Amino acid sequence: MKKHLKWLTILQVILSTHFLFGQNVVRYDLTMTDTVVNFSGKEKRAIAVNGQIPMPTLIFTEGDIAEIVVHNKLKESTSLHWHGVFLPNKEDGVPYLTQMPIEPNETFTYRFPIIQSGTHWYHSHSGLQEQIGMYGSLVLLKTKDDPTFRKGIDDLPEVPMILSEWTDIKPENVHRMLHNANDWSAIKKGTVQSYSEAIKAGHFKTKLGNEWKRMLAMDVSDVYYDKFLINGKNESQLSQFKAGDRVRLRISNGGASSYFWLTYAGGKMTVVANDGNDVEPVEVDRLIIGVSETYDVVVTIPSEDIAYEFLATPEDRTKSASIYLGNGKIQLKSRMPKLKYFEGMKMMNDMMNMDGSMDDMGMDMSYQKMDMNTVMYPEITGNPEMKMDSKTDHSSHSMNASQDIVTLNYGMLRAPQPTTLPKDAPVRELRFELTGNMNRYVWSLDNKVLSESDKILIKKGENIRITLYNNSMMRHPMHLHGHDFRVLNGQGEFAPLKNVLDIMPMETDTIEFLANTEGDWFFHCHILYHMMAGMNRVFSYEKQADNPYLPNKKWAYKKLQAESNKLHFMAENDFATNGNDGMAMWQNTRWTFGTEWRLGYHDGHGYETETHVGRYIGKNQWFMPFVGFDWRYRKHNGEIEKNLFEQTNTKDQRAVLSLGANYALPMLIIAQAEIFIDGNVRFQLSREDIPITSRLRWSFMVNTDKEYMTGFKYIVTRNIGLTTHYDSDMGIGLGATLSY
Amino acid sequence: MTAIDLYKTKPWACILSYYNNSTFIKMKSLKYLLIASIVLSTVACYAQAKNQKIEIVKIYGSCEKCENTIEKAGNMRNQSNVDWNKETKMATISYDSLKTSKEEILKRIALSGYDSDTYLAPDDIYSSLPSCCHYERAQKTTTQMGKSNIDMATKDDSIQSNKMTEMQEANPLSVVFDAYFSVKDALVKTDGNTASIKANDLLTAISAVKIEALNMDVHMVWMKVVQNLKEETGHIAKTKETIIQRVHLNMLSKNLYEVMKVSKQTTPTYYQFCPMANNGAGSNWLSREETIRNPYYGLQMLECGNTVEIIKE
Repeated sequence: MKKHLKWLTILQVILSTHFLFGQNVVRYDLTMTDTVVNFSGKEKRAIAVNGQIPMPTLIFTEGDIAEIVVHNKLKESTSLHWHGVFLPNKEDGVPYLTQMPIEPNETFTYRFPIIQSGTHWYHSHSGLQEQIGMYGSLVLLKTKDDPTFRKGIDDLPEVPMILSEWTDIKPENVHRMLHNANDWSAIKKGTVQSYSEAIKAGHFKTKLGNEWKRMLAMDVSDVYYDKFLINGKNESQLSQFKAGDRVRLRISNGGASSYFWLTYAGGKMTVVANDGNDVEPVEVDRLIIGVSETYDVVVTIPSEDIAYEFLATPEDRTKSASIYLGNGKIQLKSRMPKLKYFEGMKMMNDMMNMDGSMDDMGMDMSYQKMDMNTVMYPEITGNPEMKMDSKTDHSSHSMNASQDIVTLNYGMLRAPQPTTLPKDAPVRELRFELTGNMNRYVWSLDNKVLSESDKILIKKGENIRITLYNNSMMRHPMHLHGHDFRVLNGQGEFAPLKNVLDIMPMETDTIEFLANTEGDWFFHCHILYHMMAGMNRVFSYEKQADNPYLPNKKWAYKKLQAESNKLHFMAENDFATNGNDGMAMWQNTRWTFGTEWRLGYHDGHGYETETHVGRYIGKNQWFMPFVGFDWRYRKHNGEIEKNLFEQTNTKDQRAVLSLGANYALPMLIIAQAEIFIDGNVRFQLSREDIPITSRLRWSFMVNTDKEYMTGFKYIVTRNIGLTTHYDSDMGIGLGATLSY
Repeated sequence: MTAIDLYKTKPWACILSYYNNSTFIKMKSLKYLLIASIVLSTVACYAQAKNQKIEIVKIYGSCEKCENTIEKAGNMRNQSNVDWNKETKMATISYDSLKTSKEEILKRIALSGYDSDTYLAPDDIYSSLPSCCHYERAQKTTTQMGKSNIDMATKDDSIQSNKMTEMQEANPLSVVFDAYFSVKDALVKTDGNTASIKANDLLTAISAVKIEALNMDVHMVWMKVVQNLKEETGHIAKTKETIIQRVHLNMLSKNLYEVMKVSKQTTPTYYQFCPMANNGAGSNWLSREETIRNPYYGLQMLECGNTVEIIKE
């Protein structure tokens, strides 16, 4: 009896403690539905959660138990990822990695304890849903008795803000167009950088040099957006603030592919936290927030009866979104001047080796301290010339520091408490090179996309130290799920903690974290279209327990790999007076399946198709061997054609297999060599889409069969072009091109 | 096209060019050209008349250079036309109200350096204007507090309350409260039918609450009780039996009381209590009136109960 009593008492104590200090369950119900929105003057499909875009702001206090019930009323599967949150792996919300997708009409409950505080956000991790509304703020509050509670910061009035962008084009099409090097976005943005624009700007040589090095027009972002939004609105006002008020803005960048400059009309801003982690307050004039990063910024309302503009400008500076803080007349912030693209192009030319790799010219770049894009910023470089002297010591000062405008960089972030990792833990060193190919929109790590890589095994209790080198031409916000990492930015034991690292071209950054939560954790570029192109890895803990939400992990990983290596379709046909000229193609990271055709209107013109199945080789994918099949028919009255090698060739009827290869020469000219089973050989040079003006393209082709073609295309809309071309077989023609 | 555009920017140019044209033209073709130019100028001057709006607003500036900059910034082909008078500082703004707005035009003008009564130009843009354009700007009343830095020692945290900002001015919960009072009033009248209908309204109102429009503290309480609110209201809506409805009114009132206590109220609400209801355990309700109108017994014991708390900001 006594024994029993003892146990009962203990049980009772445990129970009552649980009751006393029992965790508060905070439940949110989220219902996803299809909706129609009008951000730009056109009605388009989007996804609303509880009837709204962005998704509702979720607020928890450290110590709560979060219970989020997802009701999927869409016609497609979905998921929610809790960005920057420490949680059990099965609650992380990555379909096919931590759970099965939430199918239509299914209800799924995420439940996890809140063991941290800070500004975070959440979004769909399924397909491209994040682009069309599935993003929302997630605020984790400190408890009042938290030892890290900062008076004058943590007790300020606060405004959660989520930045995003809107495009009228379906994101699936945006993605497809990017892979097909469609430059419609550039036309809309005014960033085609055509030859005539180059000549006008006195940069003909720059443009020539750029194409010589096989680069397409340079830009800081890839997608044209119709509207930019803060909390779902392009403009809004918070009129409850008065002069003297200090306000904490909890800003998350929920944009799919846009970095935003943040500026404020009411003076300097004080950065107090980053990625949900406190940092020592630092005053700046502006900062850039990478895709999926969060920053907490304190601003002051300086004067009575004036509302101050808080301005978010996408990095390409095409448009902006504003929120006005205060009541009364609106004090505007000056807009950021247009980028000087040709200066950027010139800089890129200088830093690009002929083999497509980057050369930092001896400048050790890291942690955003030296923004090479500064050459394009008119507000900083009145003088476009930038000294490229590798002997100058750049390490002692940053390029931004000499200017009046204080721009935040990672070097300025410092944690308020030491963040050192356990010293006795074994250290595992990893290195990744960020690689990419703009022309084919392939983005990868170490030149491998996810579908070409296995999970990276790590052990619980290890310190993982990762060195990242960006050898691509774009910046990438690299995000690690489920962990914060230290950014070794020179702040010693006070290195700041982050979960997203923006890494600019040619930078080398080092991060480290303690492997403390088992599971399969995604590590990827957070630019949605880069992620969907395969710029991902998975860190997998050895000997981890099974995930009840994902019974067949092997199969699921294959699905995950396949998702970011899909085939993209494109097709084009020119309906011309002298015949039809067209092509259709499926492509993924390495493979291409394509066919071209030239169909005349009568037998004298002939009919011709060439089908190629090829594989792109190497980092730059300049080389593409293929097998081909040619078929043609042309009534020729017995005439026999001779090629340059005196080989004869009847055009009447021909069906042959071939082996060949494409190689991209400088100036982006495609050289093609092909040998047919009948022994004939053909060499060909061609180039398409030479930008003459913003909308006018020139193309040509010449080969050893004494065939040649030259033509112009004027791009009218995304899918329609007007053409004229001369073809050795079919003569001169005028036409209209339809492209998809 | 350029001629037409010219007309648009300066309406009086239509008349001018009408004379210009006619003096240079040979007699023979004069007739046709006259007609053509009349047609053209009518089209040009009145094409936008349908959605055309004209407003006169003050724009601060000084000289002729200012006039150029202001008008250039404000004018947009097929959208807007600004005519600024440097003597009176008044601008006549005509625009197509379907394509643009007065605010958009004034914003563009402010971004080029010129204040209006809606927008203030950015200081850096203003100071980069030519010196003759430096008009007198209204003084801003800067408060001393605006300069305060983040200082952990000097700040008194008791002054600052930790509140999440309200995005809307009206209390986002007022619809919920009103719907509750309707349910309660129906039960005062022992009208199960109306109570059920009003409970349905209340249910809709509860579901329609935008949680991010709520204050921080209200938000937290709301999250805690919303499930209960829905459940209790659902029970009331489901039946027409006032006996059952009254059982659930008790819990509903208690939960809503929690919300009301933390949310800002401009008009007072009375938290009232009847010791007899709920089999002698007692029940609470909320009311807008101080006078007791007991919803648990209706006419039987209309005035049984007392006010236990007055909820006011």
